[in-house]
Amino acid sequence: MTPINISLLLFMIGLYGVISKNNLIKKIIGLAIINASVVLFFIAIGYRESGLAPIMSRSEAVDSANKIFVNPIPQALMLTAIVVSISLTAVALALVVKIYSKYKTLDVQKLYEE
Amino acid sequence: MLNHLPILIIIFPLSIAFIILLFKKYIIALSTFSILFSLASLLKFAPSVYKGQIISYHLGGWPAPLGISLLIDSLSFFFALTVLLIGMMVIIYSIPDKKYNHNYYFLLLILLSSMVGTIFTADIFNMYILYDLVAIATYLLIAYYQHGVALKASFNYLLMSAVGLSLFLLGVGSLYAMSGTLHIASISEQLPEIFAHNPQIIIMSLVLVITSMGIKMAMVPLHGWLPDAHSLAPSPVSAILSGVVVKVGLYCLIRLIFGLFSTEKILVNIASHYILMVFGAITLLFGAMMALTQTDLKRMLAYSTINQIGLILIGLGFNIYSGFEGALFHVLNHALLKSALFFCAGIIIIKTGSKKIKELAGFGKKNPVVAFCFVILSLGIIGIPPMNGFVSKFLICLAAIEAGYSILALVIIFASLITAAYYFRVIQIFYSEPIQPNSNLPNIDVAENSLFWDKYFRLWPIYILTGFSLMLGILPSLGLSLIRPAVKILLLNIIK
Repeated sequence: MTPINISLLLFMIGLYGVISKNNLIKKIIGLAIINASVVLFFIAIGYRESGLAPIMSRSEAVDSANKIFVNPIPQALMLTAIVVSISLTAVALALVVKIYSKYKTLDVQKLYEE
Repeated sequence: MLNHLPILIIIFPLSIAFIILLFKKYIIALSTFSILFSLASLLKFAPSVYKGQIISYHLGGWPAPLGISLLIDSLSFFFALTVLLIGMMVIIYSIPDKKYNHNYYFLLLILLSSMVGTIFTADIFNMYILYDLVAIATYLLIAYYQHGVALKASFNYLLMSAVGLSLFLLGVGSLYAMSGTLHIASISEQLPEIFAHNPQIIIMSLVLVITSMGIKMAMVPLHGWLPDAHSLAPSPVSAILSGVVVKVGLYCLIRLIFGLFSTEKILVNIASHYILMVFGAITLLFGAMMALTQTDLKRMLAYSTINQIGLILIGLGFNIYSGFEGALFHVLNHALLKSALFFCAGIIIIKTGSKKIKELAGFGKKNPVVAFCFVILSLGIIGIPPMNGFVSKFLICLAAIEAGYSILALVIIFASLITAAYYFRVIQIFYSEPIQPNSNLPNIDVAENSLFWDKYFRLWPIYILTGFSLMLGILPSLGLSLIRPAVKILLLNIIK
């Protein structure tokens, strides 16, 4: 299993949670799993076998030409994506709090009937 | 200062939004001013954009493949102009309602500025981030009144669109893994070579992008969120959702399919535009059928949006000049007509206290002006000659025959007949006698006493938008001259 396969598997698990779980909080957990799987996917893209952290000090600049570094751009992108997914989770939880205070239930079936 | 105008169009309303949230003073004046500023600075680019120039702005001074860049060409100019114009009208329409406080204007300004950002950006990851910002502002605006049903609709939309945006990010990731860059033009240059080695990954990312943007613009198997969200939101929010937010998804799809996945090999092997045509036809018929069965006025208008989106997709799918022309012209027409129709629906719901179509009897005699505007606008959506909807539908039908799909022209005409059926039903009820004296029900949208200067601000956006649509219908060359340079950009990418 490469990390990319694992991330796609996680995506499917999250999608299963969003689709089939009846509890709204569990659906949000599914969304969080989906977002985490995308983060893993991006990090796996940037990974290099036995690569170093992409930090280059001035003294090393000469002999670092032969070393392998992991790609820092996906990591930087994922910082932004994590922030977005956290704010998304916060908005979703806020909505669930409001829904619970109106209907006193988190079950999708009962919410659908009302 | 003038060099930095492209980013100011996005940043200025965004910073004003936070100022409004912090100081809670001069809310309306500040938000109107910021959108007018963006509109004016956008119009400043009009002469150079229509000379065929492409304005690109590099954030922080880093050039294109390394840094993030903004791109203003005639396509993004056209969409940004539509967004800001409708946004301005929505702000004017919201002024009389005291229930809309600083939170509402904060979210509205964030929504508008991030939509303009999504349109201007030339970098797919930025497109994802800004689209997520659009989506978050949308969820909160739908649930603005915090009624139970609206909260449920908002949560439903959140689930679908969050999954859709994750799919989009997965597509972005696989494109980045193959090409090593996020800049749309650079990826499109490298795409033929990648496609020769790894066709599966390119097809996968194409499918992911079409699925995610299909969720965003309610392509039919993925439309589940739209009727609830658009009909249960406050009326000005419904207007901006149906008129503009759906079109931003369409813009991203156009930008990516005709700008990124448009190399010759992909066009021959996958023929992505056939996908658009087939799904467009399904969307068109499904939206029309479902709108016919609705009993709720705003829900009917929401299904009518699905119907018109299908028409635009069909026009894009032909992949020829007149098809693009008709589709892009219909984007503008539908934005004008549908947001004005939702404005009308907002006034109708306040005046009659009911959302049900049956209970609107006699409205045409009580409020002749609003009812008359509703009639004119619905004629535009149906596509009856003096209105702008006719011109774009006619162009798409012509393109269907020109491209050799005469059956689709028949489908479009059939769907227009159904459209006529459901709009004429409402109009007929408007001018019929009320069955019983209308007891003023406590309405759920807005209490009438919370309105001030109702006559001026509520009605003027409707008059302006109706006037625009009539003008574009009588003089279609005005609108077409706005669209032709954008069509040239789409065709240019295809030939390349």
